[in-house]
Amino acid sequence: MTQLSIAMPTQRSAPQAAPNSRRWRSITIHPLLYVGLGLAVFLAPIPVSQAAGFWTTSGKVTGTGQAVVATGQDPAEVRGWMTIQMILDAYAVPQAELYAAFGIPSDTPAFATLSSLETVAPGFSTASLRTWLADRKAR
Amino acid sequence: MTASTLPIVRRPRSWGLRVQRGRHVLQLGFVALVAYVAAQRLIFPEDSGVLTPSGEALCPFGGFESFYKWVTSGGTFIPHTHAANLVLAASIVLVAVAARGFFCGWICPFGALQEGIAALSHGLQRRFPLLRRGIRALERRLAPVAFLDHWLRYLKYAVMVWAIGGAALFGVMVFRDVDPWSALVNVTELEAVGGLVVLGVAVAASFFVERPWCRYACPLGAVQGILGRIGPLAIERASNACLSCNVCSANCPVNIPVHAVTRVTSPDCIGCLQCVGACPSEGGLGLKLALPGARPTIARPVLLGALLPK
Repeated sequence: MTQLSIAMPTQRSAPQAAPNSRRWRSITIHPLLYVGLGLAVFLAPIPVSQAAGFWTTSGKVTGTGQAVVATGQDPAEVRGWMTIQMILDAYAVPQAELYAAFGIPSDTPAFATLSSLETVAPGFSTASLRTWLADRKAR
Repeated sequence: MTASTLPIVRRPRSWGLRVQRGRHVLQLGFVALVAYVAAQRLIFPEDSGVLTPSGEALCPFGGFESFYKWVTSGGTFIPHTHAANLVLAASIVLVAVAARGFFCGWICPFGALQEGIAALSHGLQRRFPLLRRGIRALERRLAPVAFLDHWLRYLKYAVMVWAIGGAALFGVMVFRDVDPWSALVNVTELEAVGGLVVLGVAVAASFFVERPWCRYACPLGAVQGILGRIGPLAIERASNACLSCNVCSANCPVNIPVHAVTRVTSPDCIGCLQCVGACPSEGGLGLKLALPGARPTIARPVLLGALLPK
């Protein structure tokens, strides 16, 4: 490491006050410590939430790893990844009634996902299906 | 040695290069993770029967968007978000307070992508002088509107309010249609056309401006910038060891005038340490943790230090 002796100007501009005034002091943090701290703080909540059963990256499983299924109790549970058959079974809806309500082509297989219906039936959306099921349930 | 001279210890340039190499390795690791998740979705689509994680579940900002719904509805999320989003949002809060822009500079894959494009641009400019001259000419032509850079940085706060507020009001991700992250992780599904356009614009702009999305539009960066204000960790410039060479400011990818401040508290700082690594003086720039001095007071705890007047 080279040591240089450089003439410093007698006056230096200081547009912003230094935090290390009488009451404050600063300690230098090595970049490795910075990276370790940043990574630890960022990643630590993940195993903690996993241990607590609060980590899901898909709507198909719960935090404890159990498969999410349509129960037929609350239309708010309906998700785009669910198939037509799941909805028919859970909410006891005749296939013809559902297809007629949303103009779904009759040759659409029951194993098709709800999100895929948006391209074949312009009036269909998962949100509109939830509303339709709630109305039907209320009747 | 007279009073007007101080010994300046030169820091070897290799030190800064090692730090940046480490940063790039970490960034590449997170890019690979996201690429792996996106590839899984490509190989095993939604109706394949194979359970794959959603790429959007790995976006911390989704947690901020879904938080209001989660609290007010007793634990349900807005569509396309999951518990993982909330956990990662909590991680972001902790990181921002503990290490300011660390996520942006060391982890964010979209930031890494923009940096990669900028590196490609620099490489091509070195290889093709004509391209370099063309970009310089463009910069000179745009110089009269350079002041816009300052004002456009406030745009990301508007995006943040719109995205979080809209999700709270309407119960859906109003930002999703133009979200480049969503477009990036769902690129194979070509679902979010608006997001793909924004992604394309951000990638193209990265060729001319470093980290354009981070500077002007990233709502997650806005959240971190606000939270980072209360953090005790920041880059500090020691006036008595500074060579006034301005290399720090020239190396800052988000154009912070590091040479003009003693403590970098800008909400735009991404904590990449490029300024620290480029500084030729050993003690000129460094990461500092502000602690109460010899007489700490209860009224000024460490974490609130940055909020209080100096």
